[in-house]
Amino acid sequence: MTKTQTQGLASHPVAEMYAREYKDGKLSRREFLVRSTALGVTAAAAYSMIGATPAAAETMRATPPMGGSLRIQMEVRALKDPRTYDWSQMANVSRGILEYLIEYNADGSFSGVLLDSWEANEDATQYTLRLREGVKWNNGDDFTAEDVAANFIGWCDSTVEGNSMAARMGGLVDPDTGVARDGAIEVVDPLTVRINYPAPDITLVPGIADYPSAVQHRDLIGTNPLDHGVGTGAYRITDYEVGVQARLEKNPDHDYWGEAYLDEVIFVDLGQDPAAWFAAAEADEFDMTYETVGEFVDLFAAIGWTQSEVTTAATVVIRPNQNTAPYDNPMVRKAIQLAVDPQVCLDLGINGQGTLGEHHHVCPIHPEYAELPPLTVDPDAANAMLQESGHADHVFEIVSIDDDYRRNTTDAVAAQLRDAGFNVERTVIPGSTFWNDWTTYPFSSTNWNHRELGVIIHNLAYRSGVAWNEFGYSNPEFDALLDQANGILDAEARSEVMAQLESILQEDAVTLQPYWRSLFRHHKAEVINADMHPKFEINVHYLGVEA
Amino acid sequence: MGLFILRRFGVMVLTAICLTFVVFFLTNLYPNLEKLAKTQGNARMTDAEVASWLDRNGYGGPLILRYGEWLGVVPGWTREGPEGEITGRCIDSDTPADIAPTFCGLLQGDLGYSTVSDDEVSNIIGGRLALTGKLMFWAFAVMVPAALIIGVLAGMREGSRMDRSLSTVSIASTATPEYVSGVIFIVLLASSTTGLSPWLSEMGWIEGRTLFLGSARSAMEGITFWNFTLPVMTIALYGMGYIARMTRASMAEVMTAQYIRTARLKGVSFRNIVLKHALRNALIAPFTVIMLQFPWLLTGVVIVETLFNYNGFGWTLVQAASNNDIELLLACSIVAVFVVLVTQLISDIGYVFLNPRIRIS
Repeated sequence: MTKTQTQGLASHPVAEMYAREYKDGKLSRREFLVRSTALGVTAAAAYSMIGATPAAAETMRATPPMGGSLRIQMEVRALKDPRTYDWSQMANVSRGILEYLIEYNADGSFSGVLLDSWEANEDATQYTLRLREGVKWNNGDDFTAEDVAANFIGWCDSTVEGNSMAARMGGLVDPDTGVARDGAIEVVDPLTVRINYPAPDITLVPGIADYPSAVQHRDLIGTNPLDHGVGTGAYRITDYEVGVQARLEKNPDHDYWGEAYLDEVIFVDLGQDPAAWFAAAEADEFDMTYETVGEFVDLFAAIGWTQSEVTTAATVVIRPNQNTAPYDNPMVRKAIQLAVDPQVCLDLGINGQGTLGEHHHVCPIHPEYAELPPLTVDPDAANAMLQESGHADHVFEIVSIDDDYRRNTTDAVAAQLRDAGFNVERTVIPGSTFWNDWTTYPFSSTNWNHRELGVIIHNLAYRSGVAWNEFGYSNPEFDALLDQANGILDAEARSEVMAQLESILQEDAVTLQPYWRSLFRHHKAEVINADMHPKFEINVHYLGVEA
Repeated sequence: MGLFILRRFGVMVLTAICLTFVVFFLTNLYPNLEKLAKTQGNARMTDAEVASWLDRNGYGGPLILRYGEWLGVVPGWTREGPEGEITGRCIDSDTPADIAPTFCGLLQGDLGYSTVSDDEVSNIIGGRLALTGKLMFWAFAVMVPAALIIGVLAGMREGSRMDRSLSTVSIASTATPEYVSGVIFIVLLASSTTGLSPWLSEMGWIEGRTLFLGSARSAMEGITFWNFTLPVMTIALYGMGYIARMTRASMAEVMTAQYIRTARLKGVSFRNIVLKHALRNALIAPFTVIMLQFPWLLTGVVIVETLFNYNGFGWTLVQAASNNDIELLLACSIVAVFVVLVTQLISDIGYVFLNPRIRIS
């Protein structure tokens, strides 16, 4: 794929400011990239603004030879309306036919796929999206601004059950009607769409780069891509058996706008047990894993597979729900935080494969991360606090899903609480039923995926009353500050607000959030461009095998 | 005889109805429906969304009526959406509302729709059964002859050294369930880092990296000695010990019978005594046991197919159960009832031919 043709912005006033901050050492290179490309500056231009060689994602990607077949170990789940996708795996299969406007690269930058370029105005209330020219649907229709507008309207429709795009569209959704606000989406000309927000919003670009935002044909919004097979991608699905396998082959009847290398891609479903994946790898059933976890990271390396690692903001929270006694008592929550050493969770939970977290769910790789004083761990003080709170006799039941790292991490928390004198009971629930009540367990662990910005996570999980607020957390002061942070483009200013948000979360002892996970993938040496992606994305168009 | 078969068939239908009702009842408990809604809709739906999803997809009515719909004795549900579009149990993209039948249940030959596979149950279950059929065939082909030989050899001379050693082997194999023996096989024979394979590969005795494959996935397309040995052995080993024990007991008993002693006194060779006089009588008991092994194998394939990633009937059952896929699970139970009762019927009829003293009806 020739990404270098992308005609993005060469510069943007705010991006210039970021560049100065980068040079002053206030921003990391990664943060700079996330922010400036989210404004519409091309990765190449962003690199040149800070005087670095444009070694962006497109040049890091090798050009594989044409042809070949690749087998990928991944769960094959039933496809549905892409807006309602709840697993990255679904998007990885459909990405062969349904592409995205923008994609998120492993280095933290954004680049256009169906968009040629995009730009935000200075206060981030208006975004102008320019479409790539010459893109065709595989039914022969041209890809136009009408398609993009129809998709935006579909994404904003919060009346569709399970449409998680509506939450990502933020201010574009009219809270009274539940659908797109009048005038929010404007078709300027056949290749230009303008998005108008009522208030500054910086989450549009990450939102439309996320996996449920697959772009469907204007007449097919809300349908299952498996039923119609219409898309802009180079592939078509020839075989789809849930739980068994999915097969994509290069569509010979379609003139794809870019390059696609492999003739055939097969997704092989080997269940959820990593031991079964490993046995199948030994039996040569596939060439690359979706994700390698825990001890299997070392095992796959031991049989000679190539390892790819990426640091992410994916994490686990072990949180009490404040709607349930005794966790409505801040002292109890504080005592829990004091008793647990994140380092122990990191070592026992994920074999030390990650970096330490600080119980506020903003990762050092997030642009607005603000450093706070280090956490203290003091089991004796925790015990004293527990006694004082009057809940010393309470039996703390900690629930987790029955799997590898989440269970182990929760066990590590339980063991440390026991050491500090808490009365702890552990409950392990099978994966098939765990999610029925995940927001309402009194004290349980949940995995959270990587998100591009710290404010995205806080909006999704910590704001009062939102659907995924599993903490039962409700703090008007926090919400107000978060609203403020949502509208700030300036790095330092947002970071200052973020520092307050982070310390509020720590002071209120909302959750344990002990570590950030590094993600691993293994593949055979001959597989090209199969590097791990922080959001588990696999774009079959880039993959190849050495002849 | 005809009456007997008819009665057996009646029992089978009754059992199937009772069993499917129990399965239907359990899978339709509200927490299970909630799970279904969340796997089908979105894993993180709210309670209100779950309720509306269930209602829209026909899980709202009384349990007994929905069971009737599945059986095909109650008309399938229909529902008119806010924009006038009609959805219903018997309506899908191929059969729009105006030509859809009123009833579509088991009696009409419609096994229903598998939610997890997003496909008709009848499309799924046939292919999966065929795969399991192959696995069962090979398991039987290994298990039965091996078990009979071991049993007869052990029972020929009760108490001899051969009897004791063969009996020990068969007890050990019966006492090792599939999930233990399967794992041991994989570790010993199918790992490139532990067990026999690295050693054999170093000596240059095997071409690949492992002696056998620890995953039978490729066997779904083409069975080879390399990819199918371990699953077949795992199933066969468990049943083998049991059948061998039964054969041995029966053989030992026959060998002490009066007519065998007479034959020996007449000077008939030991070989002829075993082959011509003892064997037929000794095989009556094992025949029933072998037929009884079919239901046991059904549980065995659940473990083995999951362990070796062979997407057959057992694997489907696990998937259906863990995803609360109601209609797929019901179809699986019907198949299971059918297999159990038909093999029992064959066993009863076969008994008559082997032992003329037994009369049925």
